[in-house]
Amino acid sequence: MELTHLWGILFISLHAMVPITLAAIGETIEESAGLFNIGLEGILLFGALAGALGAQASGSALVGLLTGMGVGALIGLVFGTISTSLRGSQLISGVGINLLALGFVALMLSVMGAPGFHSVAREVQVPLIPLGVGNLSPLVPITVAIAIGVWWLLRRTQLGIWIRAVGENPAAADVAGIRVNRVRLGAAVAAGVLAGLAGAYLSIDWFGAVTKEITAGRGFIALAIVVFSGLNPLLALLGGFIFGFFDGLATWVATYPGIKDIIPWQFVAMMPYVVTLAVVAGMIGRVRFPSALGVPYLRE
Amino acid sequence: MSSPSSWIRNLTPITESLLAGVVGLVIGAFIMLAFGYNPLAAYRSLFVGSVGSVYSWAELFANATPLILTALTFAIAMRGGLFNIGAEGQLYMGALAAVSVSLLHLPAPFNWIVAILAAMVAGMIWSLPVALLKLGRGVHEVISTIMFNWIAHFFAFYLIANVLTDPQRGERTIAVSESARLTRVFPDATLSSGLFISLVTVGVIFFLLWRTSTGFEIRSVGYNPHASHYAGISIRKQVLRVFLIGGAIAGLAGAIVVMGRPPYYAVLSGLPQLVNLGFDGIGVAMIGRNHPIGIVFAAIFFGGLMTGGRIMQFDPGVPFELVRVIQGIIILALAIPELRRLFFLARERLAGRK
Amino acid sequence: MKTRSDSGPVLDKGDVLLEARGLSKGFPGVWEHLILDQLDFDVRSGEVHTLLGENGAGKTVIANILSGYYEKTEGEIRVKGKLVHFRSPREGLAHGIAMVHQELMLVPAFTVAENIMVGLDAPLFSYGIAGVEKRIQRLVERYGLQVDPKARVEDLSAGQQQRVEILKVLFHEPEVLLLDEPTSLLTPSEADQLFVVLRAMADDGKGIVFISHKMREVFAVSDRVTVLKLGKTQGTCQIAETNEDELTRRTFGETVPDYMERPEVAHEELALNTIEMVPSGLEKKPNSQGISLKIRCGEIMGLAGVSGNGQTELIEAVTGLVPPASGEVWILNADMTGRTPKEFIERGVAHIPERRREIGIVEQMYVAENVVLKDYRKTPFSKNTVLRHQQISSHAEKIVEKFNALVPDLWQTECRILSGGNIQRLILGRETWRKPPVIIASHPTEGLDAKAIRHTWELFLALRAEGSAVLLVSEDLDEIMSLSDRIAVMFEGKIMGIVDGKGADREILGHWMAGGTASAA
Repeated sequence: MELTHLWGILFISLHAMVPITLAAIGETIEESAGLFNIGLEGILLFGALAGALGAQASGSALVGLLTGMGVGALIGLVFGTISTSLRGSQLISGVGINLLALGFVALMLSVMGAPGFHSVAREVQVPLIPLGVGNLSPLVPITVAIAIGVWWLLRRTQLGIWIRAVGENPAAADVAGIRVNRVRLGAAVAAGVLAGLAGAYLSIDWFGAVTKEITAGRGFIALAIVVFSGLNPLLALLGGFIFGFFDGLATWVATYPGIKDIIPWQFVAMMPYVVTLAVVAGMIGRVRFPSALGVPYLRE
Repeated sequence: MSSPSSWIRNLTPITESLLAGVVGLVIGAFIMLAFGYNPLAAYRSLFVGSVGSVYSWAELFANATPLILTALTFAIAMRGGLFNIGAEGQLYMGALAAVSVSLLHLPAPFNWIVAILAAMVAGMIWSLPVALLKLGRGVHEVISTIMFNWIAHFFAFYLIANVLTDPQRGERTIAVSESARLTRVFPDATLSSGLFISLVTVGVIFFLLWRTSTGFEIRSVGYNPHASHYAGISIRKQVLRVFLIGGAIAGLAGAIVVMGRPPYYAVLSGLPQLVNLGFDGIGVAMIGRNHPIGIVFAAIFFGGLMTGGRIMQFDPGVPFELVRVIQGIIILALAIPELRRLFFLARERLAGRK
Repeated sequence: MKTRSDSGPVLDKGDVLLEARGLSKGFPGVWEHLILDQLDFDVRSGEVHTLLGENGAGKTVIANILSGYYEKTEGEIRVKGKLVHFRSPREGLAHGIAMVHQELMLVPAFTVAENIMVGLDAPLFSYGIAGVEKRIQRLVERYGLQVDPKARVEDLSAGQQQRVEILKVLFHEPEVLLLDEPTSLLTPSEADQLFVVLRAMADDGKGIVFISHKMREVFAVSDRVTVLKLGKTQGTCQIAETNEDELTRRTFGETVPDYMERPEVAHEELALNTIEMVPSGLEKKPNSQGISLKIRCGEIMGLAGVSGNGQTELIEAVTGLVPPASGEVWILNADMTGRTPKEFIERGVAHIPERRREIGIVEQMYVAENVVLKDYRKTPFSKNTVLRHQQISSHAEKIVEKFNALVPDLWQTECRILSGGNIQRLILGRETWRKPPVIIASHPTEGLDAKAIRHTWELFLALRAEGSAVLLVSEDLDEIMSLSDRIAVMFEGKIMGIVDGKGADREILGHWMAGGTASAA
């Protein structure tokens, strides 16, 4: 295997790492506060659409990314409100968000032209950094920075203590004077922002288009990575990279002459999901979760 | 203090579902307005298109048939305290198993009996690992079922393109042999006797959950696993049961679709007849409050939305996907347990302001 | 006499710090009486004021309302004369009112210092853990609370965890401290240490409200005592002006009966026999020989001890809920070690659990279903897995009637809405109707009224007469002394000693409960 191939795989892995890691980091904040959001997939999809539309409307990729984050924040707010003050079921509202995203994005695609597909003009895509051996998206170092930042937030600040207290023992946090629901709502919005950013990245950076299938289960893989990382954003970065590696490998195998005739592409496409299963099956039991995860908090 | 009779108690979830439905349709109307469509014309089209003629009713039931089954898969799991969203993958496997039985060239009636059984077994094979991973490694079924759905998706693609391919038509599998196909109940419509199979399954599950000791155990574990353990009920057995029964039913759904669907009676590449039946089933189960009878009504509602939605697409041209948006909103509304109370509170507050 | 508190204003000893007038609280639902009924109560600087009452009298509720955790329905609360209305515990803290709850409100995964940081009013992105650790050291020295700030809470003993709770609260420099049953998890010597600390705080000018149902503590630590019964006060007085009998009468109404006479134990066969058994969860306790407990048929064995000394783990092992870490469990001459709960049930072991709502019943299921929760598989209640509602109904009716459970109907009432007492009656009926040979009863009369308690005791004695063995686990030493043929005391996972129930010496039992090893003279 030549060096250029190695660089190629590395770059694909880094790029594939971004959306999953961002979503996973957001969900890490959320689960630390005790919320379990299976609607990540839907937020990714909404973010992809919002990012593309925002970029096109303004002519700037940055605005596109911000639009994705804003829409993600909004959906996070909805999920957070349903899960806290309205005491709703987190699993059901997560499913609702996923369905809504599927429908809404498909609807918009139909309305905007070709049903199921919409390409984003080159000019408004995120510009890549030429590095000689390949082109790197600026979002890769940003993701690393966010991972470090969130780790610091959760483990080395007062806010982090409050977030984790709310996730472990909301009654104790309440008695200590913390507004449990408010903290959880904030965590949900933060997760939404990051997932929305991840989605926007998919459409205006990586793929350059919006399709109904653009998320391909990445939201759920992010959930698996949160498990793998034990709620540690730095490990989520590692997990995202590992997954990205298999994702990249799948793409490479599918196009590399010789190999693609031996291994049917469908099995290669399955690899990321099989690997995720294997990792999750291996990791659980060794990892410790907040005791109040997934349970709405009632005072009396 | 006397408690309400069971009829009135059942009324609360029914009103909640109806209310959620109304919320969904109302918000859907606003979205239509935003895009410049006329909601009244659209809903009229939807209504007429779904229940306006005998033909449309037949199509409605044809759409509802597999949804009833995939909804039961989810509902049984919920009753057992588990979140099985793997009906999608289980049903692909079931459909493919049913089709592959044609390779055996069995005489009728064995061919369709074996096909159905094979489909149910395939569904169970696909849901068993989820149960085992949960019991053995504590893997949350949300993650594992989605992974298995995607694996099934690609595995199905592989089988369609390479193993079960129709020698004359590369983009689909071999067809189910003629004598094995489910009889059409209605000429011109796609409704098959699969509907009766679905309804029988509904009856069986109802009986199972409330009239047998097995159902008692499933419900008990779903409500309170600790108390169930204390009472001598085996949690492991329930997890396995719930996933196996659910997988079998989803596999059955796949078989019914492929064995009852003219003109091809085969699985097409890209899985257009099967895709999303699993996820829509989840929506149906939620609106039907995870109760077999409720599921039938909810499936009829969804089936109606789908048939009507296609007509709505022609005239006044509202895209079909709006139907899914409405479904999503309804589910979100259902996630809120106090929806009814909030509604009345909001009404009071508005009245108070005036 | 003026004194200075920690760093706050000068307080006159005797100043009223906190006062409630006409306090009432009623929860919506099926409760027969108001939780609190027109209560008057006050706390003064420099005193320890005890709230005495049985379980369910309303003591915890008062404290929760005074500290701001619960809302009151009626009445006035004043802090140093000023009318206040707390909407959250934070507001209570801001006014100098702090509460230490009975259940520990700690985050097990955090260290002591991190737990205290949870309650601090610090800027979002600061991380003042070093300052917190230093301050903990100072408080430890001042009041004599032994805690290591860097230790993880889940690694600490119950006594140490409680000290963390108190520390948490001291950080806010409260003037009034409310402690809810603080000794429920402590050994007698740890309790004495606590009393010393509380005395030090009172001398500092604070007002301490001490909630308890244990007579001995009341006399050990209080200046004043208020008796509470079913939400109403039964009077307040200086501790010096009263005595144990008078307070007992006011608190409990009737005097507690003495040892209930009965014929001698007739049998020799062993109903329950554990052989050097170490229950799961107690492996780390210093008891290498394990528990060897023998209960004969037709015998009531009382297991005394402060909660948290291994009783729960022992029960889990002898009912099959959790397999033991080592040793054997024999029921009626069959080796049942590590078998499933179902097998224990079939062998004839009935279990009346401590947590009746969470484990004893499935709350969302109907009355009839809960009555057959363990029997639904058997004839006549089901046949070939099909349930037979007719049979279930008539059986449930019989149980409900015989045990005086107040239920509106059998198939439409979810057990969730029943009161704790009625749930317990159903559970007693369900567990005993087959006259099981072995009954494991954990706190069976907690929260029941006097009549129901009597009924339960008579039931146990009747079953005993027919040959059933009963393992009675209870915190109520009076109950154990009245009912048991023999009494065993458990401490830190070990049986400290076994004596005859008749004529048992309370002091020896108390000694064993605290870990002392004197033999029965």
